[in-house]
Amino acid sequence: MTYILNRLLSIALTLFLISVITFSVTTILPGDVATMIMGTQSNPVALAGLRKSLGLEDPLIVQYGRWIGGMLVGDWGHSLIFKSAISELLVQKIKASSLIVVMSMAIALACAIPLGVWAAVHRGRWQDAVSTNVALVGVSLPDFFWGIMMILLFARTLGWFPSSGFADPSVNLWLAVTHAFLPALALGLGLMALLTRMTRSTMTGILGQEFIRVGRAKGLSERTIVWRYALANAIGPVLTVAGLQVGYLFGSIIVVETLFNYTGMGWLTYQALLNRDIPLIQATVFVIAAVVMLTNLVVDVLYLYFDPRIRLE
Amino acid sequence: MKRFISPKGIIGLALIILVILAAVLAPLVLPADFATRMSMSARLRPPSAAHWLGTDQLGRDLLYRVMLGGQTSLKIAGAAVVMSVILGLPIGLIAGYYRGHVDNLLMRLVDTLLSFPVLLLALTISAMLGPSLPNTIIAIGVAFSPFIARIIRGEALRVAQMPYVEAARAAGTNDLQMVLRHILPNIMPPIIVQATLSLAFAILAEAGLSFLGLGTQPPQSSWGLMIQASRDYLDVAPWTALVPGAAVAVTVLGLNMSGDILRDVFDPRAN
Repeated sequence: MTYILNRLLSIALTLFLISVITFSVTTILPGDVATMIMGTQSNPVALAGLRKSLGLEDPLIVQYGRWIGGMLVGDWGHSLIFKSAISELLVQKIKASSLIVVMSMAIALACAIPLGVWAAVHRGRWQDAVSTNVALVGVSLPDFFWGIMMILLFARTLGWFPSSGFADPSVNLWLAVTHAFLPALALGLGLMALLTRMTRSTMTGILGQEFIRVGRAKGLSERTIVWRYALANAIGPVLTVAGLQVGYLFGSIIVVETLFNYTGMGWLTYQALLNRDIPLIQATVFVIAAVVMLTNLVVDVLYLYFDPRIRLE
Repeated sequence: MKRFISPKGIIGLALIILVILAAVLAPLVLPADFATRMSMSARLRPPSAAHWLGTDQLGRDLLYRVMLGGQTSLKIAGAAVVMSVILGLPIGLIAGYYRGHVDNLLMRLVDTLLSFPVLLLALTISAMLGPSLPNTIIAIGVAFSPFIARIIRGEALRVAQMPYVEAARAAGTNDLQMVLRHILPNIMPPIIVQATLSLAFAILAEAGLSFLGLGTQPPQSSWGLMIQASRDYLDVAPWTALVPGAAVAVTVLGLNMSGDILRDVFDPRAN
């Protein structure tokens, strides 16, 4: 009980710190909303007037209070470029992006686990070399490069998938999945490489353990040993690393969604940054950091749940 | 005895040396205006004897552009990593050496910063400062510093509990001397390994920032910018994307592979 309470307190504190960092980065650095609205060549008197009416002349702590207070009661402000309520934009875009994030994670895991197991079982042989080197090349290329190659191959040459755009899953699920597929694949490749390495090293460790030898001595088939007993023990650490990569995914969707013109969170963040739409920058940066923090927390808790050996007192 | 240098490491090192040589030699072997010399009659040419890797949308020689881009990428990545070490080192050392409340406070801050995806943080800083070469370095350097701080803290924590530190303390060494003379030299190896690996990430980050228009600005040449520019000509001139893409891949691959060698040389404990 105290554990849960401590945890909740810690979440609140971290969210507070995230908001402070977000606010500082977007406020202390040069450029503000007034110049954003009126442009840098505008009349200084008018600019000062606008700054005053927007409350930009107030002390930073007051501005921060107003921002965080608004967010707490659900008023996230208005986007300067989209001319609409930020909270609505966020809900819409988070939905779009979760499709990509989930799909890329599924693609990465579906490829990485078999590849990693394959490498671990044939450790030191050619299969291992193939799998390890594929993984090395996978992490060495930027996501957007994979994305461009996929557009070239799957969209332009083969014509299997659309090369850009977003489709609403609640309207037409199939269309939505085909639009999300290439961006998800581009994101998934880098992740796959990392998870393959992780699966390989975890599986290698487990396959050398006593209980595997016991299984072999009992005459269990190699397939049962590898896929049922060894993998069951390896899956925890692999899923943990996968969960911790959600942060990496949320960084990468900015590039990949922009490349594919997929209008999700990453695309929204990029539009905000490019146009210096400060209220929208603050909201998107805060939300992404909060999502990453909460995902890491869920992964932590799940790990405790699945692996009773490390449960706290 | 353990095999000291792996063939993988040698290949990695060779790749890195190749990239550095190409970047350094580019301005020495070719006329100064070669990169900017445009030729409308030679636009988007495939690789040929005159242009070994073909030309881009403005008829500029891709081989030379990619060499120059390497210079920018290496410069930015190198400076960004140095900056992240400068920022992360004191935080990590203080947290790891003093432990207790100081450690808790600093690490809470560092962990919170780690909730921000690196690319997001770098993009935000770059957008707020206004994209330029020095600001790209600052953006990537700041975004990387929490990782470095975390690693240095872990190492400092480990080294600070060693018997020789105890001995030095008994001999009356003060905190500053202790950190600078006894702890720092002993945590340098893992820092060097980490910095090399971070260099690979910094190259990718620079390419990402420039690709999005929030990093290196034209007319400067950068791999990310070249890939960005190639998007409109993919159908007719796919090599305009493949050349800079391959350059990024070779560099990052080389850095990742030589990370192995460095680990063997500097950090034998890791094996």
